[in-house]
Amino acid sequence: MSNGAIVVTMSLLFLVLGYLGVPVAFALMAGVLVATFFTPVSFPSMIGQMFHGIDAEALLAIPFFLLVGELMTSADVTQRMIRLSQTLVGHLRGGLAQVVTLFSMFFAGISGSSVADVAVLSRTIAREMDREGYDRGFTAALIASASTMANLIPPSIMAVVYGATGNVSIGGLFLGGVVPGVLIGIGLMIYSYFFGPAGVKKQRASLLDVGFALRDATLPLIIPIIIMGGILTGWFTPTEAGMIAAVYIVLVVIPLLRRGHIRKLPGDFVYTGMLYAIPLAAVAGASAFGWMLAYLRGPDVVATYITAWAGTSGPKIMFLLVVLFVIVGDFVDAVPAIIIFMPIINKLTEIGNINPLHMGVVIITTLVFGLITPPYGLSLLVASKFVDVPFGRAMLRSLPLYVVFFLTIAFTVLFPDIVLWLPKQFLPESVGCFKSPSGAGYICP
Amino acid sequence: MDQRALVLQRHRHLKWKTLDPLEAVLMVLCGASIIGFTVAVLCDVVTRTIGHPWLWLQQVTTGFFAYGVFIGMAAATRRNDHLFLSEITRRIRGTARTALEAFGRLVVFAVALAMVWFGYKNFLLDLGSFRMPSLIPLGVYTAIVPVAGALIALFSIEQLVNGWRHGFEGPEDMTSVVEPVE
Repeated sequence: MSNGAIVVTMSLLFLVLGYLGVPVAFALMAGVLVATFFTPVSFPSMIGQMFHGIDAEALLAIPFFLLVGELMTSADVTQRMIRLSQTLVGHLRGGLAQVVTLFSMFFAGISGSSVADVAVLSRTIAREMDREGYDRGFTAALIASASTMANLIPPSIMAVVYGATGNVSIGGLFLGGVVPGVLIGIGLMIYSYFFGPAGVKKQRASLLDVGFALRDATLPLIIPIIIMGGILTGWFTPTEAGMIAAVYIVLVVIPLLRRGHIRKLPGDFVYTGMLYAIPLAAVAGASAFGWMLAYLRGPDVVATYITAWAGTSGPKIMFLLVVLFVIVGDFVDAVPAIIIFMPIINKLTEIGNINPLHMGVVIITTLVFGLITPPYGLSLLVASKFVDVPFGRAMLRSLPLYVVFFLTIAFTVLFPDIVLWLPKQFLPESVGCFKSPSGAGYICP
Repeated sequence: MDQRALVLQRHRHLKWKTLDPLEAVLMVLCGASIIGFTVAVLCDVVTRTIGHPWLWLQQVTTGFFAYGVFIGMAAATRRNDHLFLSEITRRIRGTARTALEAFGRLVVFAVALAMVWFGYKNFLLDLGSFRMPSLIPLGVYTAIVPVAGALIALFSIEQLVNGWRHGFEGPEDMTSVVEPVE
C-alpha cells in the first residue's frame, strides 16, 4: 500500500469511527494502529508515542487552567464579575447581550476553557435574558460566540497545546491572542447593539455603583494579573502561573469570598482530575496520529498542494490554511486538530517564511471559529443544550455572527504588526527578536 | 444528575454495581494526581526561589501528570465522559442504536487490548532507558499505559454485556441529546 493510501485510510477510519460515536482518543488510535499494520513501524513504539505525546512540561498548564475555571465556577465567585459587567455596559441597547460579551472577556482572562464560560453564562445571564424576552436562539448563539474568547484571551488551552507541540513561545501566543480576542468581543458588542434584540432599557449605573462592583470583583480580577504578570516578568512558566493562580483561589479567593465552599474543594479537585484527562487523552491519540502522518510524509503532500496555489506568499498560504482549518474545525476538535496538523503547519510556515508566532495566532483564531460551526461546534452544542433551544435554531441565529469571526481572521492574517505588537513589546524573543550585541534593546527581523 | 459524584449515576443500566468502588477509587486517584502535581510544581517554584532547586521534582510532576491522564482516561470510559465527534448514536433508537453502540465499544475494546499488549512490550523496553538526573527508569512512567488499557478493556466489556442485555438507551437519552461536560 502506498503512503498516500495509508494516510487516506487512516484519516477516513478516524472520521468514520468518530462520527459513529467512538470517542476521539480511541478513533484516532484505531486509525493509527491500522496504519501501523501497513508500515515497518513497530506497534509498541506507536503505543509509546501516545505516552510521549503527553509527556511535555508545558501541557501541565492545561489542568491548572481547567482547575482555575472549575474552582471559580463551582464556588460561584463569577457572580461578582457579572455584576461588574452589568454596571459597566448593562445600560446600553441590548444590555444583557453586552454583559454576556464583556463578562466573557473578563472570564477569558481567568479560564482557558470555552465550555466553562458557556456553563457559567447559561446558568446565570441566560435565564435573565429569557425573562427580558431575548430570543433563545440568539442567546445561545451569542453565549457560544462570546465563549470562544476564552481560547484567545490569555490563558488559552489551545495556545498551550499549540506552543507545546509546535515549539512556539506559549507566553507569546497568549499575548498574540489578545488582539483577535478583543476584536471578537468588540465585534459581538457592535452586532448586539445594532442588530440584536433591544432588551429592557436600564439606567446607567452610578460611578459609586461601578466602584462597589469593582471592589467586589477585585479578588477574582487579580487572577489574570497573576498569570500574565508572572509569565511576562519571567518569574513563572505558564504551567507555574496556572498553579499559582489555583493556589491563590484556594488560599485567598474562596476563604475570603465563599468560605462555605471550602468543604467542597476535595470534590473540585477530584472532578477536575478526571476532567483534564479528557482532552489530554485526545492529545495522546492525536500525537500518535500526527507522528504517523509525518512518518508517511503527509505534510509534504499537503504542502505541495498548497504551494501549487499559493507559491511562497505568506498571506496566501495563511488564507489557504484558514480555509483548511475552517473545514477541519467543523469536524474535529481543535486540540487534536492542532497536534495532527502541526507537521503541515511547520512545513508551510517555513516555505512561506512566516513568523511562527503569527501563524500560531492565525491558526488558533481560525480554530476557535470551529467552536460555533456545525456539525462539531462544541460551544454552540453545549450552549443550545443549556439554554434549552434546538441546535438548528441556535445555529441559524449564529450565522450573522460569523461575519465577526471572518473579519477578525482576515485582520489577523493581514496585519501581523498589530497582532504581534504586544508580544514584541513584552516578550521580544517570542517573535524571533534577539538581544543587541551592544546590550541595549533588541534586534527584530 | 450530579456530574461530580464519585460514581456517576448516568447510564446506570450499563454498569455493574461490583465495579462502582473501582470507579470511585479511580476518581479519587485522579484527584490525588492533580493535588500531587500541584504540590510538586509549588515545591519546584519555592525551592528554586530560595536558591536550592530540587531537580527531581520535575520528574515527580510529570509522573503524577501522566498517571493522572491515563487513570482519568479509564475513569472517563466508565462514565462515558470522553470527547466525542458526534452524538449521532444518541438520536437513534432500537436495533440500529444497539449495533452502533456495540460496534463503538468493540473498537474501544480493541484499542484497549493493543494498549495492554503493546504497552506492556513498550514498558519492558523502557525499563532500559533512564530519566536524568534521578535515573528513574522510563518504564516506571509508561507502566500506566497497559494498566489503563486493562481498565478500559474491563469497562468496555461491562458496557457491552449490559448494553446487550438491557439495551444501550437510558432514560437520560430521552430528554438529552448532548451531555455537556461542565
